[in-house]
Formats: sequence, C-alpha cells, structure tokens
Amino acid sequence: MPEEIRTRRSLLAFAVAAALTPVANVQATDWSGFAENATYHRDGVGLSKFRNTVQLEMIKPIETSGGWYNVTLNGVLRATYDGVYDLNDKEFGEDAKYEYLGENWHPNEDVSNQALTPGVAVPCENDDRLCNNLSGYMDEDANDIRYPDFNDEMDFIREFYIDATRDIGDDQLSVRLGKQQIIWGRTDLFRVLDTINPVDYSRHNIFDELEDIRIPQWMLSTELRMGANSVFDDMNFQMVWNFDKFRPHNMGTCGQAYRLVDAGCFFASYIGFPPDFPVPDYAGSLIPIIHDVVLPEYTLQNTQGGIKWEGVYGDATFSLNAARYFQQLPSIHYRPGAVPGLPALDGVFDIHFPRVNLVGGSIDYYHMGTDATWRLESAYTEGEELPRDTDGHKETPVVRYVVGMDKNIMIPALGSRSAFLLSAQVFGQSIQDHEKDMPEAKDNWIGTLLFKGWYMNNRLSPQIVIAHDVEAEATAIAPSISYQPDDHWLVNFGFNIKEGGEQKFPWSVAAANGDTSPQWEPLARFTNGPIGVANQEDEIQLTIRYGF
Amino acid sequence: MRKQLLSIAAGLMGVTLTAQAALPESVIQESFFPYKNGGPDVAEIKPGMAINAGNVDQFVAYLDPATYMFIKRGDYEITVGETTSFDLHESYVEATRQFAGQAKLGARTGEIDAPGAGRPFPQEPSLDDPRAGEKLAWNYKFGYNWGDSAAIKPFYWKMRDMESGKVERTFKMNFNFLNFARRTAQDPHPEIQPNPSALFRATYVQVLEPFDVKNTQLLVQKFQDDLKNDNAYLYLGFQRRVRRLSSGQTTDAFLGTDIMIEDFEGYNGRISDMKWTYKGTQWMLSPMYNHNDMPLAKEHQEDDGYQFIDFVGKGGCFPNITWQLRKTHVLWSEPVDPNHPVGRREHYIDAQTFIIPRNITYDRNGSMWKSWTIGQSHPDHHLPINKGTGVAIDDSFSMVDIQANHCTTGQFKGIVDPKLSPASKFTVQQLRAAGR
Repeated sequence: MPEEIRTRRSLLAFAVAAALTPVANVQATDWSGFAENATYHRDGVGLSKFRNTVQLEMIKPIETSGGWYNVTLNGVLRATYDGVYDLNDKEFGEDAKYEYLGENWHPNEDVSNQALTPGVAVPCENDDRLCNNLSGYMDEDANDIRYPDFNDEMDFIREFYIDATRDIGDDQLSVRLGKQQIIWGRTDLFRVLDTINPVDYSRHNIFDELEDIRIPQWMLSTELRMGANSVFDDMNFQMVWNFDKFRPHNMGTCGQAYRLVDAGCFFASYIGFPPDFPVPDYAGSLIPIIHDVVLPEYTLQNTQGGIKWEGVYGDATFSLNAARYFQQLPSIHYRPGAVPGLPALDGVFDIHFPRVNLVGGSIDYYHMGTDATWRLESAYTEGEELPRDTDGHKETPVVRYVVGMDKNIMIPALGSRSAFLLSAQVFGQSIQDHEKDMPEAKDNWIGTLLFKGWYMNNRLSPQIVIAHDVEAEATAIAPSISYQPDDHWLVNFGFNIKEGGEQKFPWSVAAANGDTSPQWEPLARFTNGPIGVANQEDEIQLTIRYGF
Repeated sequence: MRKQLLSIAAGLMGVTLTAQAALPESVIQESFFPYKNGGPDVAEIKPGMAINAGNVDQFVAYLDPATYMFIKRGDYEITVGETTSFDLHESYVEATRQFAGQAKLGARTGEIDAPGAGRPFPQEPSLDDPRAGEKLAWNYKFGYNWGDSAAIKPFYWKMRDMESGKVERTFKMNFNFLNFARRTAQDPHPEIQPNPSALFRATYVQVLEPFDVKNTQLLVQKFQDDLKNDNAYLYLGFQRRVRRLSSGQTTDAFLGTDIMIEDFEGYNGRISDMKWTYKGTQWMLSPMYNHNDMPLAKEHQEDDGYQFIDFVGKGGCFPNITWQLRKTHVLWSEPVDPNHPVGRREHYIDAQTFIIPRNITYDRNGSMWKSWTIGQSHPDHHLPINKGTGVAIDDSFSMVDIQANHCTTGQFKGIVDPKLSPASKFTVQQLRAAGR
C-alpha cells in the first residue's frame, strides 16, 4: 500500500477516534445471523451449487460523551464453502474441461470456435501463463472458488464500520467509516445509480439479492441531515469517499459455476493460428486473449467518491447524484503486433478499467389515481468503454434509466386476504456514440416483472420473477415458493429457466478468414447479455436457512 | 339590495359567532370527567367477579358480541375490575375548552374546520344527528391517544395458532409516535415547525427480531388534510432500500400478522375512507386496568424489572387483565371502497378518552372476521415516567382472526417521553440511517 494512502487512512481513523472520545461505556453486543445451504441442480450438468454459508452480524452500541451519539460498531462476517467444486468436479473447478469456447451457451459451428481455444478452467491451477496475465483479476486458485470469502482481500469481513452522529445547529452530522455497502437508487436487480460498490456475479449471476453480492469497500460516508424546511419535508446531503483499493466486478472465473456472459472463459482462452499461416512467428502459435490486467494504481488521486442530495417534496422523494469512479466491468484494449492487422504475439488485449463520471437522479412518487408508486431513475456517464470489434472497445457516453411501478392488489380469487405485490420495471440503456461494430444495441431495454403473494400469515409465499431482454430476445423465468415454519427456518424452492441467447454478431477475424457471417464468439456474448448467455443454465434450486 | 346584503352578512356573522361561542363547562365535564361522581351503578356487575361460560348470559348487555362469543365458548374468562377515571392531560382538556366551539364539519366526509387542538366535538352524540358518527371519528383521530409523542420500546408481537396454542412467530419491535400538529402538552405546541406538507401525525416502526425481518422499518405519515392518502415508506433490511407503499399495502397483513396497518390503534385510516354511523352509547365492559396490579408475564422481563401483560385462554390469545365498566360509544365504519377487504368494523369507543379498546371486523359477506382488543393501562399505575401524563397507555393487544382460528397478541412497554421521539426520527432519511 502506498505510504500516502496508509498515512491518510491512519489520520482519518485517528481523527474520528479522537472526536468520539472520551468513550464512557461499551454496551452489550447484539449478535444475529444465519446458516444456509443452497443446493442447485442444473439441467444436463448436475449439481451447480452446493453452497454452505454462515453469516454473523453484530452491532455494539457505544456510549460516548463529547457531542457524538448513536455511536455503534457494526460488523458482518461471512464464511462460504461451495461444495460443487468437489461434488461435481467434472463440470466445475480446476479439473473441468471444455470442448470449445461457449460450450454451455451455443453449438460448436463457427469459424470463431475454430480460431479460439476453449477457456482454461481456473487458470491459476492449470496454466501459469494465463494466470500471470490475469493476475489481479481472474487469478483465483482452487481454494479461492471453494471458499470465496477467504481471499487476499479478506472478504470474510463483509462489513465493519463505526457509525456516529452529532448535532450541528439544528442539523445532524452522521459519519459512517469502515468497510461497508452504500446503496443509491431505487431499482431492483439492475444498477443505474447504485454504482459505489462492485458486485460479485460469480455467486449467482444477476439473480441474488444485491445485498449479498455487493463487494463491500472501505469508505467514509458523511451525511448532513437537515430535516424539514419551509419547502422540503426532509433533506439530506451525502458525501462518499471510497478510499479502498479499486476492485472490479467479479464476473466469474472460467471453471466457476456462474460466469457473467462467460467472459471468464473468453479471457482464459487463446487465439490460434494454423501451422500454414503465412506470417512467420504466427504460424502454429497460440496467443493468449489477455496479455495483462491494468488495474488503477492505488493512490490518493485514484480513490473514488460521490455526492448525493436527496429530499422529500410533497408526495415525491428524490435524489440528485454525482460520482467519479472506475468502470467496474472490464474494457479490453487491442494490442497491435509488429505486423499490421495482427495482434501482439504475447497477448491480444489488455484489460483496463477507465475513469467514469456519473450524474443522475431518481424520484419516486405515489400516485393516488393508480394507487401505485412510480419510480424513475436515470444516469448519464462519461468515460465508459463498451465492447467493440475494432480495438476491442470504444469510449462513449451512456444513458441508463429505469421506470418502475409497484402496486399492491387484492385478488380474492387467488385465495389470500393479503395483497399481492406487482412490481414492474423497464431498464433502458442508450449508447450515445454507438458504432455498427458494437455488439450491444444502441438502445436496449430489459423488462422485469415480480408478482408475489402471501398465504398462511405470510409464512408461505409464492412468487414469480420474469425478466426479458428485448434485443437479446432472451427471457428468464424464476418461479419460487418460500415457507417459514417458525422464526428460525426458511425453505425456498424454485426454478430458474432461461430462453434465448440465439443472437450472433460478426467478427472481423472470421471475416478476414473469409466468413463474413455472424458468429457466436467472441462478441455475441455482449449481444445476448447475462440472460441469453446463460440459456443452458436451467436450474432447480433449494435453499434452507436457519436464522438466529 | 344593499340592505339585503347587509342582512345576509349579519346573518352569516351571527352563525359564525354562534359556532365560535364557548361551550358550556357542563359539556366539558360530561365529556372528560364522566366518573367524577363514581362509576356506574350496575348492581349485577361488581369488581372482582368472574364472568365465564357459566354466567355470561347474565351480562350479555355489557359485552360486545365477540367478547360474549369467546366467553360463551369457554375460550376466555374475564375478571371485573373497578371502574376508574382515566383523566386526560389538562392541556388537552383546556384546548378543548378553547377551541371546541369552533369545530365544523365540511361538506364531505373527511373535511373539517377545527382550529387549534383538543377534542373537536365534546358534545354528547345524538342518534338524531346524521353526522354523529363522523364527529366521533374525528374525536378519535384528534384524540389525546398517546399524547403528543410516545414510544413503545420494546413491543412484542406473537403469531399464534389458536387451536394448538403454538407460537409461530415472535416479533420484537420499537414503535414511535409523534403529533406534528394539535399538540398541547409537549413543546413546541400547537405545531412543530417547519412542517411544509402539513403533516398531522407520524408513526415509525423498527423491527428488531427475528433475523429474517430484522431492520425492517415502516414510516407512516398522516396529513392534516384527511382527504390526502397517507405517505407510507418501508425499509427492507435485505434490500437496504426505502420503498414507497401504495395504500393497498395498508390494508395488508403487517408482517403476516393478523393486523393491518389500517388497524393500528383501533383505526389508522382516513376518516374519508369510511362511512361512519353512530349506534348509541352504553355501559360496557372494557379492557382497561392498572398494569401494575395485573399478574404479569415472566417472559421477556426487562432489565429495569418491567414485566409485560400475560396472555391466557384458548391458544394464549387473550390478555390476562381485568375489565371495567365504561361509558362506551358504539360506532360503525363501512369502507367506501368496494374492493376493501373489510365489510364493516364495529368500534367500541371509550367515551372519556376516545381510545378504541374494542373493535370487531366483519368481512364482505357480513361474517364476523376479527376481534381486536387493545388493553389500556392507567398511566399512574404503569412505569413511573408515565405517571401524570394523562395518557391511557396501550398496554396489551389481541387480534383474533375468528375465521382462521389464529391470533396475534401484543405486549407493550409504552413510554411517554418526548426525548424518545424527536422529529428527526420520522423522516425517510431515518429509515436509511437506522438500517445497515
């Protein structure tokens, strides 16, 4: 860790500690948590998850004098062991072997699959060169994927922070310092403003609660709570400083059971040149797709942050947000070789994570006429780099938005006196400087629908979640039912069915070899998105949890 | 013509002057101090006597239909307590003296012009008054209730199978209440400023246990304009987000219990959501008592020694308390919305305090659905901090779903202390701050 950062962290911690002193009394610690087993079975594959989790949550109130109050020390510890890598080691883990790239998504029928090798499962167990090239990103070893919380970043400490509040005039200053999640926005499943923490998609693609898959960061959140004034019923100003080392989204390493758009295997593959290739040095060679992962240097200048102003005005609650951070999805930068038109011999792309500036806002409004709550959330970013055939990427402004509606409906015909929840939302993305060779559509939308009911005093709850990606023509349907026999036990049984993922996209390398037809690899993974690429991941899912 | 206009103006002034005239002190005395000359003279009901399946038929005139049914079936047995005066805080009585003469109903149900504070219609209700029911509803809504602010900390709710007595779920929560307007006792009064949306009252709920709903928080804001729907916000711990609730959710089972948000405190909806009918005033047995004199529960004992009301009877669904004879207004409310799950509620309003200790809910088919008991303790026989507050302390509840043979019971530790309920606790930001 650079000295500058370390010094500033220490100073900050000292300043907060000094402000909180003298500590008069430490009260009893409240502990709670759960133990859980999640067992999923994938059609045609067998066991896809046998995840065992223990999570402990603590809160310790601390009595103080000197102006600070509501002072608490908070922690969330999590230990996970996923036994699928031992119980179904032919399909997942370091011994898994794939016949071709994209084997669990599309048939082996294109030139692209002849040019690209299958991904190497868990590269750091099987391929030193790939492991070295992917160092700092997808470089997990066999134990890292079995015990994902026990990594170098000590993710078993999911959260550990101190909360404190003091009055400043009529306002309240609230400080939260430590490893934490900061949630912005009002959207389920997708993230428009909720960009502070990266996400671990290797846990269960996009389908787990974000609370469980956000990657907590060491941050300082300062809020000035101004309460009501003559115009607003509530007003709050928040500053977030993420002084942690940058971490990208975890998209799942090749060999893991869940890999967002199968990027992990693409990054762990090679492009092969035939023995009779006319250029010396290239003939018969295998060039790794990824040469290096260029992570932002951990310096003060590279720390991330944002500000938010939010309030309540009449029937509307709103926020205005701005953030400066690093793109959490990887951007691949093409590395040309000495021979025009051919990549560098030691790797085709470097992975970069460019700087992004975001401005946006959100609002929700209760409308009496429809007796529904309407949500709108939107963000405009600059600096993002999106996939493109030429050079691997292009920087472009992006507009994202969500329009959502939540409504509770009594449906006596369904035999429940509890209202059913209907929640629908449309997530839109508009790429401002779109190019024809970008595999993502200039404008795309994903619609989601949640319909949930309650029976037996809410202890039995069926629900169905449907998500449809318009351009990918891909759909996920997830019906489930949960049962709580008492305060401790929860059983959830469900299905997760996906359809689609049939889109292809032209690839210049195939075209250069005489095949101009659309290809599966490597670009169509972005066209089909996380739902389409997971089209062969139909699962039966059983989760049993004991809370305490 | 000019003369005519003057005459009309003078006439209007006369009406106004009449409406604003101070009420006779006898109205105040009858409304707030019905027991100053002692309790009712009902020979057949004496303190200490037990009413059970064997003798309940003798007392049917003093019991609401649901309580009668439970006792007749042997589900519950009650002991009669002495009738005591639950004097409300003097500041509220004084506000009534000052302002009650000015209160006027608007043209539509839910409209009222009632400046100041206090009980808007302290006059005895009349069966001949077609809007008497509405006036009683306003007296309840603008009642002293928990005073200007209070907390229930903690508050245990248990979901029980009435047949087996099995406790299915236990929720531990904190509740806070704050009146933004019509305040009389706690500073500032009569209204907290700034109050740009003209809030009338807010309720904040924080769930502490069990784990699966821990950190769930609810904020309900009621407006001074009764025609406006409440604003309700829900923070779900597992989403860490504040969600707005549609009003449909206020008629939904709160956390799966037998209680709707609309049921809170007897009735938590808008006056304008119901058609109100006054059905008469009578002496009835009501669940009102002195907490410290009750046989208290051993479970959930607090560090300060406070013990909660115990539950007995079929399924453990009924509070182990004494019931006293009280002057009671019978009020019916029928939802205006034909899709509302409730067909009718019968409210048995305590005439002195205007709290609602007994409610019976009927479904859309007219069948008895739920029985809602909110036991009230005299504040001078509860926690020391509550002495002299003039608040009838909500102290125990039982909501029995008669059709489902299921109940939810509640054990309160009610604290009237303004320090526990500052205005900052009733904001959307508080939900985020108190969550993770």
